[in-house]
Amino acid sequence: MRAIQQMRGIRHMHKILKTMIIAGLTTAGADGVIMAQKVGGINVATISPNDAIWSKAKFTPVVLYPQTTIKLNDKKANSLNGANKGLKAQVGAIYDGSSMAYKIIWSDPTNNALTGNVSDVYADGLAMQVPVNFSNPKKLPYIGMGSDDRAVLIYLNKVIPSHYEPNGNRDVSTQINHHNTNYFGEELNKFKAQVEALSSKSYAKSYISEGFRSMTQIKDGSSKFGMNMVYNPSTKAWAGVVAKSLNDGNANFSSAGAIPVSFAVWDGGKLNRGGVKKLSGWTAVKFVGKSGGDDLVKELTTPSTGDAKAGKVAVDAMCGSCHTLNASKSAPAYMAPNLSNIGGYSTNAYLAESIKEPSAVIVPGYNRNAHKAMKWYNVDAKTGKRVSTMPPMMTDDKQIANAVAYLKTLKVGVE
Amino acid sequence: MSKRQLAMVMDLNKCIGCQTCTVACKTQWTNRNGREYMYWNNVETYPGDGYPKKWMELGGGFDKAGDLQEGIIPNIQADYGVPWDYNYEELATFDFTKGSSTAGFHATTDTTWGPNWDEDEGKGDFPNDNYFFYLPRICNHCTNPGCLSACPRDAIFKRDEDGVVLVDLDRCNGYRYCIAGCPYKKIYFNPKISKSEKCILCFPRIEQGLPPACAQQCVGRIRFVGFLDDQESQVYKLVTKFKVAIPLRKDYGTQPNVYYVPPTEAPAKFDADGKIIEGSDRIPIKELVKLFGEDVHHAIKTVKAEKKKRAETGESELMDILIAYQHADMFRLDANYYQEVAKSKEPKPLAPIDDRYAKGKFTLEFTLPESHGTHEGNATHEGNATHEGNTTDEGNTTHA
Repeated sequence: MRAIQQMRGIRHMHKILKTMIIAGLTTAGADGVIMAQKVGGINVATISPNDAIWSKAKFTPVVLYPQTTIKLNDKKANSLNGANKGLKAQVGAIYDGSSMAYKIIWSDPTNNALTGNVSDVYADGLAMQVPVNFSNPKKLPYIGMGSDDRAVLIYLNKVIPSHYEPNGNRDVSTQINHHNTNYFGEELNKFKAQVEALSSKSYAKSYISEGFRSMTQIKDGSSKFGMNMVYNPSTKAWAGVVAKSLNDGNANFSSAGAIPVSFAVWDGGKLNRGGVKKLSGWTAVKFVGKSGGDDLVKELTTPSTGDAKAGKVAVDAMCGSCHTLNASKSAPAYMAPNLSNIGGYSTNAYLAESIKEPSAVIVPGYNRNAHKAMKWYNVDAKTGKRVSTMPPMMTDDKQIANAVAYLKTLKVGVE
Repeated sequence: MSKRQLAMVMDLNKCIGCQTCTVACKTQWTNRNGREYMYWNNVETYPGDGYPKKWMELGGGFDKAGDLQEGIIPNIQADYGVPWDYNYEELATFDFTKGSSTAGFHATTDTTWGPNWDEDEGKGDFPNDNYFFYLPRICNHCTNPGCLSACPRDAIFKRDEDGVVLVDLDRCNGYRYCIAGCPYKKIYFNPKISKSEKCILCFPRIEQGLPPACAQQCVGRIRFVGFLDDQESQVYKLVTKFKVAIPLRKDYGTQPNVYYVPPTEAPAKFDADGKIIEGSDRIPIKELVKLFGEDVHHAIKTVKAEKKKRAETGESELMDILIAYQHADMFRLDANYYQEVAKSKEPKPLAPIDDRYAKGKFTLEFTLPESHGTHEGNATHEGNATHEGNTTDEGNTTHA
């Protein structure tokens, strides 16, 4: 009897092992990699989630984690988002000779648009970011909108259907309140229509950024991209699409076999906007049929080889007094980047680089007036370069690998 | 901190709550284009809920350690009050002969709250010890602005030449953390353009040597405008020399630059028989301490002493200032100064563009010809690749 139980136990173990091996193999191959399928004729400007072209896309799960590196100052938003979990989105990609497009499907219980005369309503939104340069997969831009000399392009859309950008076109006569006109009846309707015609119907914008705060809208017309979002009320999910030309003068992806991308979504219903969002780490996109980019795919899919247990001991002791690591290991507020979801949106290489060389990537963090006693960096008077206030913590590669393995475990659960 | 700082002093003893300032501002800036609900200048009754409703309880500002505090973004209907419309259009066809349960001419939204909903209510038992006074409020153009510190886009900046705090609408993405960060709730969200807007201290007027519209139009002549470092200005005299003008809620830690002469001239209280209680203060001093801090004692003492001196001797410089004889003395602005500033920034005109990004790496639109790229006072701003040089930050060494 006992032997049979043991046998069963062993057989069960075998099954688990087998599953693990398969899972491991998949990771090395395609898991976590968005496989961009070659299609013909992507229309960048009018791309929509309902286009027939998407039937060729294959979808890969990508988890987006709540941004917790910095804490913003909206009391209500903070209380609504404090217990946020990771969000599993499905991402598909396609490309043709001149452009690439991404479709992201994520669940959101409510469709929130910003319309009407409101002050405290926020729109659902989607953003995608791509690095301008990714030739060294170990030195990708900081996930929070790039870093000095490591620029990213960002494509943002929000559900803000009709709005009026200050445009400098001197259409001042349409900016007055309709009660301040002399119009009545038909004429008033005509005036209202004239005003409405001047509104921007799509909020889609493209930006270039070298770090949080520096994000600047590309307004010179060089950015060729398209975005669209459609809410499905029956599945309670958004489908968003981003299309961009492979070479638009800001960055050239034409010859790449694989590129890193990252996504962010905002839930307007939970007062998400700006830094209150969920974002993914750098995720590899492999252009099926194109060669190259293997080292990038490998870098972004290979798990850390370190010993997380040993890493925890070192990180708790060496990092925990400044960095909040999780709910039970918290440092003084605003002291340093909060690391409680760092494993969800950072690469191994970034973590290792930052431990060894804290000034390689500076997280701009808060406005420096917001928390004066907690400077994350100083500015070198001579070079104007930002220098992290964190000293290099570890030099031994094995110790760093262990720390990285542990840091990668720091993330909340998935919804 | 900016190189120079413009400031305004408001003498609360003389404010009659006529709202002329409010109207001057509204017609100048906020009667259109999504700003209809905003009052960049408002006059509220204190004690009262104020505008937006209970703004003092909505957070923002800094604690003693200098940390920006969380805040709440007011709701347009419940807290600001919707500027309601009437059914003018319907009136053309409305049949007044038919019986109707609603008035033929009516507001198109529920009118349950608005600015000055509680005007003149005040506190206390009428007529024995009730009290109120008017509190006109504009953006304080703080030296350490909560809105600027809260903005994750660096879209708010403080002008070096006069400390005016402005929103760079090109950079603003309508996140509204600024509203949470401002303890005075004097920055507003414009839903039409999906960006934040605020009092601009009428900088286009100021650059021409004219005072802000609210100050120019004030019938009580309660507002003084000038540079804090200009010892000839009455603002300097009221704030620094006599120390009778003090900022509102200094405890919020933003170092506001609108100063108030506290109300000192309330009538005495009455007893149960309706007789005057000699020496009594109708406005409780603790309320004034709450608004203006402990400095209020010195300010009240000085105003009273100077008033007495004037009565006895016929002379008091402070009383002469507070009487506000001449606009020319009350407003010390300098168009020439601004022309010099503008010249130094040529060929770019003096415009509300944030210098930090004016020649940023990525703002191609504003790229200047090489020969005019930088000038002395602005060198680190424009050439700054890291987007440092936050104007109130110590990192900005060239402006010290």
